[in-house]
Amino acid sequence: MILGLGEYLSLATILFGIGAIGFLVRRNVLIQLMSIELMLNAVNVVLVAVNRFHPDNHAGQLFAFFVIAVAAAEVATGLAIVIALFRLKKSVDTDQAASLKH
Amino acid sequence: MSSSTLLFCVCAFFALAGAVGTVSARRPLRAAMALLAHIVALAGLYLTLHAQLLAAIQLLVYAGAIVVLFVFVIMLIGPASETSGSGRAGMVRMTSLVLMGMVTVTIAFAIVDTDPAAPRLPAGYGDVEGVGGALYTQGLVPFEIISITLLVAIIGAVAVARGKTAVEKQIEAKEKARAEVEARLGEGAAPAPAE
Amino acid sequence: MSWWIGVAPLLLLLGGGLLIMLADAFAKERAELATTTTVTLALSGAISFYVLLVDPVLAPAPELVTRYLATDKLGAFFDVVICLGAALSTLLAGGYLREHGLERGEFYVLALFSAFGAMVLARAADMATLFIGLETMSLGVYAMIAFRRRSARAAEGAIKYFLLGSFAAAILLFGSALVYAGTGATSFVGIAAAMAGGEASTKLVLLGLLLVVVGLAFKVSAVPFHMWTPDAYEGAPTPATTFMSVAVKSAAFAVFVRLLMTSFGDPLSTSAAAGWPPVLAGLAAVTMVFGNLAALGQSSVKRMLAYSSIAHAGYVLVGLGAAARVPELGVSSVLFYLAAYTVSNALAFGALVYAGSKGKEAVSYADLAGLGRRHPGVGLAMAVGVLSLMGFPPTAGFFGKYYVFNAAVQAGGGWVWLAVLGVLSSAVGAYYYLRVVVLMFMREPAQGAPIAVPMKSGYVLVALVASAVFVMNLGLLPSTVLEMAVAAAQELVGA
Repeated sequence: MILGLGEYLSLATILFGIGAIGFLVRRNVLIQLMSIELMLNAVNVVLVAVNRFHPDNHAGQLFAFFVIAVAAAEVATGLAIVIALFRLKKSVDTDQAASLKH
Repeated sequence: MSSSTLLFCVCAFFALAGAVGTVSARRPLRAAMALLAHIVALAGLYLTLHAQLLAAIQLLVYAGAIVVLFVFVIMLIGPASETSGSGRAGMVRMTSLVLMGMVTVTIAFAIVDTDPAAPRLPAGYGDVEGVGGALYTQGLVPFEIISITLLVAIIGAVAVARGKTAVEKQIEAKEKARAEVEARLGEGAAPAPAE
Repeated sequence: MSWWIGVAPLLLLLGGGLLIMLADAFAKERAELATTTTVTLALSGAISFYVLLVDPVLAPAPELVTRYLATDKLGAFFDVVICLGAALSTLLAGGYLREHGLERGEFYVLALFSAFGAMVLARAADMATLFIGLETMSLGVYAMIAFRRRSARAAEGAIKYFLLGSFAAAILLFGSALVYAGTGATSFVGIAAAMAGGEASTKLVLLGLLLVVVGLAFKVSAVPFHMWTPDAYEGAPTPATTFMSVAVKSAAFAVFVRLLMTSFGDPLSTSAAAGWPPVLAGLAAVTMVFGNLAALGQSSVKRMLAYSSIAHAGYVLVGLGAAARVPELGVSSVLFYLAAYTVSNALAFGALVYAGSKGKEAVSYADLAGLGRRHPGVGLAMAVGVLSLMGFPPTAGFFGKYYVFNAAVQAGGGWVWLAVLGVLSSAVGAYYYLRVVVLMFMREPAQGAPIAVPMKSGYVLVALVASAVFVMNLGLLPSTVLEMAVAAAQELVGA
């Protein structure tokens, strides 16, 4: 078995799908946040894998580096909002946070 | 089976297991641990793709910072971080699940057939010197902009999550005092009903 | 002239932001921060306005910069729009934050850096800067929404927007990764070259493009990706709502225009069978109809304006879709529309800010009853704002709608029907806009209802006067801005 781009892309797509399903199905804000991290990680696998097959520059690896940095910033802000919400509602259940009209 | 194929299979297995564990865990702490396993497995995958520096950064930033941050918040929130029961809108969730599954399978099929041969790697590909050089020459502009992103995140987190400021405490004290005065006035005008 | 002037507005915002952070630590008077922020934003916008107006010959920027950030007229045009929207929002914040006991300097820093992110997004020439700009802008906005820390509504609106926004950003990112997989390029120009050269894997690219369009449709709050909009708009402090509805939306449309025109102008991507025009047409139709119908049933003016902003995204999508057939006309109509929408919406929200005071926001229709009789100034500002949003001549909104629908008619084919649908749905929209005017000037408040007392704030007054002047100026003399929009569009599509 020789590893090609297809194996990596398929794996990444499945990981992305797992993350997306987790985000849609779970109601716990913390787990939804982690699901978003799974999705971003899956994107990084695609970026790094594609770069391996277009190795004349480091565009993909640089992009992945930026994604990691932005993901860290996103988590920091997200968790701050989770804490603010928890102080007011004493819950991290997104269905509990549905007092706003739909 | 070559060693890199073996590494790929092992890492892919743990990455998938970690991802499933993260989204299916009932306790957020377990989910965070599964996320950690997933992240370490991905670092291994990056090694099979000759991205040594990125593998190291993945471990440092994700395992060292992001997962730790999650664990901190889970500890801060305590037992309330656990939510029970299945979704309220079961149908919506089922539909979205089926939909996402279909999308995933479609995409997976669409990309399996792209299979170019892996080209030879230029010297310095993926190591500290190669990526670092690219980062500070080719990618300098986005690299600098990222620093603002991180700054915004810090300021935003402080603005949202910190305790009450002096001004806010003053306002709250005033509101409390006003409420007390109003309550007393109300008592004077009409005797409070007996309990 | 040096190419630095092309990125000077960005650098100025950075310097200003850092300065304000320092000043916040030492200053006693928070209100001065509003002045500093507004002046920084105004200066930054003025530089780009000068570039557009005088059109100086600039030395070409080094590849180091242009690979990631475009230094063209489209970028300059959106600098002006974003800075104007952000400056009006911070002026409103100067009055609002004091009145509602939220006076903290972080708001201004967040607004400045968020505007910086929006400008990076509007100038993005690479998928990486697109994502970074998008997130820089969004992170600031999430924090601004949750700024009222004692309000559960604010926290709920923020968490809803944050979760859905991050989800959409991840989808957009996956889309751009698939485009990279299909073309081997992350820069917009590189993608275009790969598409033209025929070496791209089209299946992957079109799939990726679809995901990118979904992600951007979320940011411009097009139906069916609008679920977050009413809650986030309602939960946020009104100046932050203003910022979201003008700066964020303009920046997202800017990168939408740039990406589609630069990278995906090839025959396959613009084809009716597999490309983006039918997707945009569908989004536009649903967005216009749903936005207007949903706005009808609202009892809160703030929510009504949220749904109205959804409907306006639909009108812009009509112009954007038409750009597939008539690039120059379509793009310039989108640009002009966004400029007109920015000043009109800032005026309407500004009047809403002005009408509320001391911890009590005026948000419902009932709050506004009779306001125009008691306080003619505020009433007039609100009336001009909503009439412009409605598209009543001779205001900015009228010409905005006119140019967009004109572009659709010129594009011919199915786009004509979309223009007809747009006109019909804006006729529906007239009902809820006029309802505000009627309530303000022809009704008395119900017995015992709380009467909104306008706040006293020079900042808000300045913002109202400035946006009213812009609204009338764009309505009576649209030629200057229209010429700038056309010049930017010509440069982009290479006509």
